[in-house]
Amino acid sequence: MSALGGGSSGGEGINPTASLIALVIVLVAVAVVFLVYPAATVPLIGVIIGGVLISFGVHFVPVGGAPAAMGQAPGIATGVAMLAAGGGLAGLFGGAWAAEFGIAISLAAGAIGGGLLMAITCLMVNVVYVYAMGIPAASGKVDKDPITGDTFPAYKSQGTEGHGLPFISYVGGVLGGLFGGMGGTLIYYELLQVYEEALPSVIGASTEGLTTLAVSLAGIFAVGMFLVAAVLTAYNITGTIEGPHDPKFKRWPRAVIGSSAASAVCGLFAILLVVI
Amino acid sequence: MEEILFGIGISALAGALATVAGAAEDTESDIGSQGDPNSQVQLAPQMGYVHRIYNKAVSGEPPAYGLWVALAAGVAWALMAIQFNAILALVIGSAVAVFVQGVYATTAYLGRTASLAKFEQPVYIDILKSVTSVTMAHAFVAIFATVTMCFLMIEALGHPFPLPLMGIVWGIALGAAGSATGNPFYGKERQYQKYPFGAGLPISASGDIVRYAEAGQRSSIDNGWFTSKGAGPASGICFGLIVFFELWRTILFEPFAAGWGAVIAGVVLIIVFMVIDRYVETWARKTYGPYTEEAAPEEEAAA
Amino acid sequence: MSVKIEASEGGMPHDKMLGIGVVGALVCLYIVYLNSLMSTDVFAFFGGLAAVIALWWGTDSIKTLCSYGLGTGVPSAGMISLGSGVIAFLFATKLAGISPLLVPLGCIIIAAIIGAILGFISDKVLNMNIPVMTRMIAELTIVGSLTMLGFTAMISGSFIFTDLIAGSVSFLGMVVTSYAASVIGGCILATIFMLGAIAIQHPFNACLGPNESWDRTQMCALECGFLSMLVVAVMSVAFLSLFAVVISFVISIILWGWSYSEYIKLSKRDAYAWLDSKPIREVGGE
Repeated sequence: MSALGGGSSGGEGINPTASLIALVIVLVAVAVVFLVYPAATVPLIGVIIGGVLISFGVHFVPVGGAPAAMGQAPGIATGVAMLAAGGGLAGLFGGAWAAEFGIAISLAAGAIGGGLLMAITCLMVNVVYVYAMGIPAASGKVDKDPITGDTFPAYKSQGTEGHGLPFISYVGGVLGGLFGGMGGTLIYYELLQVYEEALPSVIGASTEGLTTLAVSLAGIFAVGMFLVAAVLTAYNITGTIEGPHDPKFKRWPRAVIGSSAASAVCGLFAILLVVI
Repeated sequence: MEEILFGIGISALAGALATVAGAAEDTESDIGSQGDPNSQVQLAPQMGYVHRIYNKAVSGEPPAYGLWVALAAGVAWALMAIQFNAILALVIGSAVAVFVQGVYATTAYLGRTASLAKFEQPVYIDILKSVTSVTMAHAFVAIFATVTMCFLMIEALGHPFPLPLMGIVWGIALGAAGSATGNPFYGKERQYQKYPFGAGLPISASGDIVRYAEAGQRSSIDNGWFTSKGAGPASGICFGLIVFFELWRTILFEPFAAGWGAVIAGVVLIIVFMVIDRYVETWARKTYGPYTEEAAPEEEAAA
Repeated sequence: MSVKIEASEGGMPHDKMLGIGVVGALVCLYIVYLNSLMSTDVFAFFGGLAAVIALWWGTDSIKTLCSYGLGTGVPSAGMISLGSGVIAFLFATKLAGISPLLVPLGCIIIAAIIGAILGFISDKVLNMNIPVMTRMIAELTIVGSLTMLGFTAMISGSFIFTDLIAGSVSFLGMVVTSYAASVIGGCILATIFMLGAIAIQHPFNACLGPNESWDRTQMCALECGFLSMLVVAVMSVAFLSLFAVVISFVISIILWGWSYSEYIKLSKRDAYAWLDSKPIREVGGE
């Protein structure tokens, strides 16, 4: 993303005590909402699932960081949190548009919006690598593509860790966009339901522009929570990952635990907004 | 029928605006050396290569464009709220955003370059005067096209988001698409033009960027001349396709199957793009061939 | 190839900056409350000053955090700061229903709770094992929420939820109340969000390097803050009286001009050489 890379490698494994505390935080948040405003219990769970989907999805997005810009490492040459945000927010755009059709279509539209952005972006990355730079795709972490069976070591140019987006990374990018778009839309949709239901009684009888108000509140909360979950996940994979075949992918459980606690706390305050 | 035709027309217009925006965005970031290739501009003096390249380290492109577009949208929204003409409001909003972009660019160049004093990299203030205005001009095109596109989506297509929220969403998407597509071309092909074509840059060569031109010294403005022939249009096509297909599939197919039509169309599009990608990948493997003999299964390629 | 992140030594101790940041921002925010007491909106610009003081302190927090090397760029720390800050800020504005005086203080407390939990998650659950992480993420969340609160107060002259959702549209000479024309309803918050997210990370991101110096980075923080104030003043035309907008604008532009010229002077002081239209000076005299 910027001139910074490397740094702390991030420890392996799961810290059991801390993970337990994180799960307790999730339960406490749900319990508080259940006691204070029972109607919002299901939306809060939806928000938590949304955060988990975002965090899980970011692990699929193949991002190589700064070295990818010189063809030194495979993946997309940008920051992981922000690329996922690009996909997820484009999904949010589609999901919010389809919100009137109900939750199923809204979620599907959000997922497709994110997946479509990633599908086109990843295609254009490969087009630039192949047709403008004359470089074939090669992964650095595995010798063989798990999907197509292509071999990579011979296609890696001298002195690099690989380059471009092999097919497994492409599929990972699309999956990441699907999960991210769906997660962002789920957070938005659930909060929108809460606000549309509760705001008229909180504010008073007039409903002029009330839908816009609910959309704005849910939208800005969704953007904020999306960024929190995406950045936490970026910390988990220390900025770069090749896709689902990367060894770092195995770290996803702790990011999922962390994001569920983070989105539970954020969702708790977002919902309590209408209670006070 | 007429409504759908109107919607398709707006989709095409939005797609065209997005294409212009994507191309201008990537050219702007390459002139300023923003995003990931910036790491090499930062690294070069530490390796002993003092240069005259702009160093616009204003975060990555997605957050930066998230700000520029959201800012233009916010100012335009505020002006429209006090009954300004919409077009005038969008132009003034973009101009304010470009002013902020220019100031951020200069502070980034001064800050990064002054912090490299240990490696004897001087601050060249003539670069500041000549290049900043060029990046601002490109940024204006990108910002104005994007914020106009956002305005169309709300006013003509009836999307529920308010303008500033729409600006943040498409600004970040613009930066993500532009940086993903454009960075490798600038980073490898332009910064390391003297290294062989058709191969990645050896990690050991990092920092040895091209600093001299055909005659005299390389100026960052020429980077825009170079990348506007490859990475710029590619980024434009990327962002244009994203916006067009996102709108097109929704407007044309949403009435079918109670809304599922747009989802199915999206799935089909994703699969089509996936097939094209696989074709491009195998085409490259067949046409270019491997770098080393594939006979030895445990090839040691990395240095 | 990555560039080693080196943070400068010296300057003011971080705890002292924290104290100045919290107290200064709170005082400025309470001055904004005079608007409600005196039925005016000329004090709105104090909200911007509160945000600038918070950003000035947050720059040092980002520097402390990022000097450990997070594996991802400095900008992401700015995004998480504002992403969590916006939640604390919006919740805090609702506390005005109990007492308006509770809002700034409540904002800090709620942001501290959210930030401490997020910091604990990144430090322990994600196994980052960075000693200052919990504290710095908590500080950054507070800074993010104070920035949102300050700029929102500057744009609308108030930080009370019911004021932030009520806008007015004049249509054919008649003034109609509309939620869609309010600070929250128009989602002008999205613009403030990005202004804060870039302004908080830019000073350290722009000045990092082996010769980074404390006073230059902090001057850059002030410069970014005042620049954001300037555009916030432009956007406040939608909500404030013309007189208040002019006051905000003039104060912002004077402070920005001062900080920008000071920043250039400091860069000139720290730079190896300050050259105009000169060729590349080869190291080692080639």
